[in-house]
Amino acid sequence: MSALNPPNLPVVSEGSRLTPGELRSVVFARAALGRRGYDEEQVRNFLAHVERELVLIYNDKAALADEVNRLRAQVAQGGAPGVMAPEDAHFQAVRILSQAQQTADLYVADAERYTRELAHEARLHREAILADAKGRAEHMLEDAHRKAAEVADAAVRAAPPPPARPVPLPDDERRAMEREIAYLRTYSDVYRTHLRSYLEALLRNVDEWESSERASLPGRSPD
Amino acid sequence: MDAQRLKHSFDRVARQGDSVAMFFYSDLFVRNPHLRDMFPIGMSGQRDKLLRALGHIVAQVDDLPALVPFLRQLGRDHRRFGIVAEHYPHVGASLLATLRHFTGDDWTDDVESDWNAAYSLVAKVMLEAADEDALSRPAWWNGQVVAVERRRFDIAVLRVQPDRPLPYLPGQSVALEVPSRLRHWRYYSMANAPRPDHTVDFHVRLVDGGPVSPVLVRGTEAGDRVRMGAPVGTLTLDEESPRDVLLAAGSTGLAPLKAILEQISRRPVPPRVHLFFGARTRDGLYDLEHLTKLACEFRWLTVVPAVSDEPGGHDLSAVFRSGDVEYGNLSDVVAGHGPWDGHDAYVCGPSAMVGHTVEQLTRLGVARDRIRLETFTEAQR
Repeated sequence: MSALNPPNLPVVSEGSRLTPGELRSVVFARAALGRRGYDEEQVRNFLAHVERELVLIYNDKAALADEVNRLRAQVAQGGAPGVMAPEDAHFQAVRILSQAQQTADLYVADAERYTRELAHEARLHREAILADAKGRAEHMLEDAHRKAAEVADAAVRAAPPPPARPVPLPDDERRAMEREIAYLRTYSDVYRTHLRSYLEALLRNVDEWESSERASLPGRSPD
Repeated sequence: MDAQRLKHSFDRVARQGDSVAMFFYSDLFVRNPHLRDMFPIGMSGQRDKLLRALGHIVAQVDDLPALVPFLRQLGRDHRRFGIVAEHYPHVGASLLATLRHFTGDDWTDDVESDWNAAYSLVAKVMLEAADEDALSRPAWWNGQVVAVERRRFDIAVLRVQPDRPLPYLPGQSVALEVPSRLRHWRYYSMANAPRPDHTVDFHVRLVDGGPVSPVLVRGTEAGDRVRMGAPVGTLTLDEESPRDVLLAAGSTGLAPLKAILEQISRRPVPPRVHLFFGARTRDGLYDLEHLTKLACEFRWLTVVPAVSDEPGGHDLSAVFRSGDVEYGNLSDVVAGHGPWDGHDAYVCGPSAMVGHTVEQLTRLGVARDRIRLETFTEAQR
């Protein structure tokens, strides 16, 4: 090797690959004194190297083409495990979406049934309360009537002889009137008492209802 | 297109029921994920609707005079869902894929071309009707609730102000959507004849477990927004008829009949009108107060309230009642006030009540074509 050899001749050791950059930066040494051109041996070595590269590249290319053909065939046949044809992937997606939809439908149906049952129970409850109220009202009226009748009878039995009056009523009529007065007074008394306690109970109910409804609806929640 | 082959092909597929519709929607959404938002979360109702509509279309595919009006209405109905022309090919592609999938090896080019032809026709008719409709009406109306009156724990009367005039015939209804239940549309009848300020009233009864009515009855306040589709329905007044009028309303089936009543009251010489208003219990007669006022005001109007589930005896609680109601099923009460020949009858309410009333009236000699009706199930399309 002459001293004129430039430092950047490609290293052409076996197994290494030639890069386009290397190719561009190749500078051959001048030929030995008295001869024209590049150092013949260097050029020959380098051409051999380029040839090897080309062989490698063609081999690689053929291998890749084989691989592509193999994969294409695989796809056409419906795919190997782990690799899915587009059509299969689509059906799979459809299946998964259908399952998700079924789950969603189930939840919606459950929620609907649940609210329907709750509402039904609430309706029954409401009817029971109304029936109870009606029963109580009837009971009140009956009770007032019974007590008043008793008191009226007692009043008549215990009535003192009538004081002298300017126009004395006939005895029967007077007694009947006293009876009626006593009846009405007691009736209204008893009825008032019943009604008051019942209305108070109702108000308490309404208060409870209101507070529980407010508790169940924080702010104006979206229902 | 071979109609017989098409019907045969559909019968085979339809036998597989809900899974057909399930596959169709999943296929549609996998191919076009952006379409999913146009549908509610729960899809069971939607699938039923699809299969019913398909069945209807296929059954009439060789009877175009019957099929076309159905398709035109379907096309108009779809406007409020935001369906536009470019959605139709996606639907067609998924429909074909579904049919192919469920037909299996029997899928032939002929069958495919039958279905292609049929779908092209359906899409064309629907789109044409939608486009025509778009010339004169918006796809939907926005409305604002201006008043809510709760008449019972489960019945409310709502007044809504539409954002632009909403032309309709008394007796018609609109599909209604509330913001908290998007994609759920329920039909409600306007309960008044059109007003100068365009407001409309709706009578809403809470359906246990339903998605929309509980929100309307218990969760709606003045100021809330709703959307309304285009008015539809054939329970409308026969303006040409000189006959006297019988109105039979069960519960909130009163709404369309009240609108018709209002329309009648605007005539210079109204016919005689009998309005029967029925409910299970007395507190279900949620609008009796107003009806009684109307009956006092108009000499030509008679209002007969009736309750079916309360005893008619003279028990003590009768003391607390005011006014007279009749006891019994509405259809029997109506029949008891007959004869009704020479009348036009308008009937609306729960389907059993409507069915029985129509039965009684025809038995009493009212011609079937003099009876106009609508049932809730029909209104819940």
